Amino acid sequence: MNNKIVKLSMVLFVICAITAGILGIVNALTWERIDQITHQKEYEAYAAVLGSESGYTQVEFDKAAFPTVDSVNQSNDGNGYVVTSTFSGAQGNITMACGVGTDLKCTGISIIEHSETSGLGAVAASTSSAGEAFRAQFVGQDEGIALSKAGGSIDALAGATITSNAVTNATATSIKCIASLG
Amino acid sequence: MNRKQQFKEGLITNNPVLVQQIGMCATMAITTTLFNGIGMGLSVLIILTCCNVVVAALRKIIPDEIRLAIFVVVIAGFVTIVDLLLQAFIPALSAALGVFIPLIVVNCIIIGRAEAFCQKNTVKDSFFDGIFQGLGYTCVLIIMCVFREFVGSGRFGGGLIDVANGFRFTLDGTGGGIQIFPEEFGAAIMNLPFGGFLTLGLLIGLMQYALKRSEKKKKAAEHAAKEAALKEVEE
Amino acid sequence: MLANILSISLGAILINNFIFSQFLGCCPFLGCSNKVDTAAGMGLAVVFVMGLASAICWVIDNYILIPLNLAFLETLAFILVIAALVQFVEMFLKKSVPSLYSALGIYLPLITTNCAVLGVVLLNVQNNYNFIESVVYGITGGLGFMLAIVLFASVRERTQFSDYPECFEGFPICLVSAALVAMAFMGFSGMKIF
Repeated sequence: MNNKIVKLSMVLFVICAITAGILGIVNALTWERIDQITHQKEYEAYAAVLGSESGYTQVEFDKAAFPTVDSVNQSNDGNGYVVTSTFSGAQGNITMACGVGTDLKCTGISIIEHSETSGLGAVAASTSSAGEAFRAQFVGQDEGIALSKAGGSIDALAGATITSNAVTNATATSIKCIASLG
Repeated sequence: MNRKQQFKEGLITNNPVLVQQIGMCATMAITTTLFNGIGMGLSVLIILTCCNVVVAALRKIIPDEIRLAIFVVVIAGFVTIVDLLLQAFIPALSAALGVFIPLIVVNCIIIGRAEAFCQKNTVKDSFFDGIFQGLGYTCVLIIMCVFREFVGSGRFGGGLIDVANGFRFTLDGTGGGIQIFPEEFGAAIMNLPFGGFLTLGLLIGLMQYALKRSEKKKKAAEHAAKEAALKEVEE
Repeated sequence: MLANILSISLGAILINNFIFSQFLGCCPFLGCSNKVDTAAGMGLAVVFVMGLASAICWVIDNYILIPLNLAFLETLAFILVIAALVQFVEMFLKKSVPSLYSALGIYLPLITTNCAVLGVVLLNVQNNYNFIESVVYGITGGLGFMLAIVLFASVRERTQFSDYPECFEGFPICLVSAALVAMAFMGFSGMKIF
């Protein structure tokens, strides 16, 4: 009886080991490319919100006061900051990069990661004309930014009020965070 | 084994989603654009075929007590390979399907076929079984995607077809699709879970109706043949 | 911290319900919800497995796989842990609560292929939850599943007396009813108390 259990465990272990080995090989072949793709999204987002040729340096901020902000990066050109924050949208978390100029106005937003519904909340991140138009509304806004339903000037996306609200609030938070840096 | 019979079974009479009624989680969750549907369908087809071949090849060596654990390990292996390849080469599909790619491991279709078919059939038969069942699954996904997208956003081919600069296929998921009627007039709720449940329910109902009708016709034909034979004997 | 946990719980049970919002766990949801008592029993078993699986898989992921750069083995490791866990739960139930064991029948080993269990473990990794958040998400996700399956069992017991087209017998009428319940759950989306 004991012998049988040992034999079965050995067979299972061998098959697991072979599988793990094959996976290791595939992983070795692909991880560099995957890594590159994950970071490329971030850099593209930074470039979209604040065109800076000379790179960025990370800056300290008050994490307790701004829990949704992941990082604040100051552009080495001196023309502003890029704030990345993660906040909850309609179907999960949204990670967004928001450019804030030295005049404390938004220079652009770019959604890095999200899991919103295709055709609804996901339009905020898409390259379609509706998505571009939505994001263009944020340029030049200050920290009093709000949806038009709440008296502001941002038109929400059709059928995606929650997503639009979340993105608007996150933009306001990003500007407030930069303002708090003094 | 009759290939034509296998093909018919995989696509219609033994369709994994519509007749066997397994593997429904992913079917309802990701069928929001054609890009997702075809991507998921092809991934499942590839994984199903590979697993079928490996299980059929190893069927004489696998001890009976731990066969399910071994199936699971083999399936997890292939799923991880496909997951890594998609992350590296089609990141848009990987992001759109999200957690449902690793969830192919527990897709009942793959374990079900391994258990029911590959254990007792040759490698060649299992290979074709995988392909045909996978095709049946992909067809259901495509029908659901097309229906949901059309009723929900008035679109066809979201993510896959791009008509902005002349007709072309976008394999990186950025195509806007062909807008058949303006998006504002679509029932956006079809893109939400409600649409998923409803579409699948209607499809399965339709399939059951079609199968019942064909069975009724067959029975009627047999009945008529019997009567004709009896009449002949009487005369 | 408490606010975070409460918001995860509320999310898992109502706002992003595992079945009506995220589609994880549909197969046992449709197959096992014939009677309210079986549904409740199944729900409890799933809560237990999901909580325990979240805990064990978090430990394995953060103390073994990530430090050794083996993150690509996550799917394989998690599914093996879940399979072993379900095996233990089966043996435990057989000895201590044999009535529940026989009532659940074939559906107990099927918890292994329940998308919700593997799904919650993978979502814990994706959302970067710490240990307590993972276990809370696992348990409350299971509670959301149980709520959905018990609610739906009551709906199904009623549909047996309804007059629907013959070709909708079985799953189709279930799915259409589930669509309506899913629409009701949509009322919770965007809710933010904590």
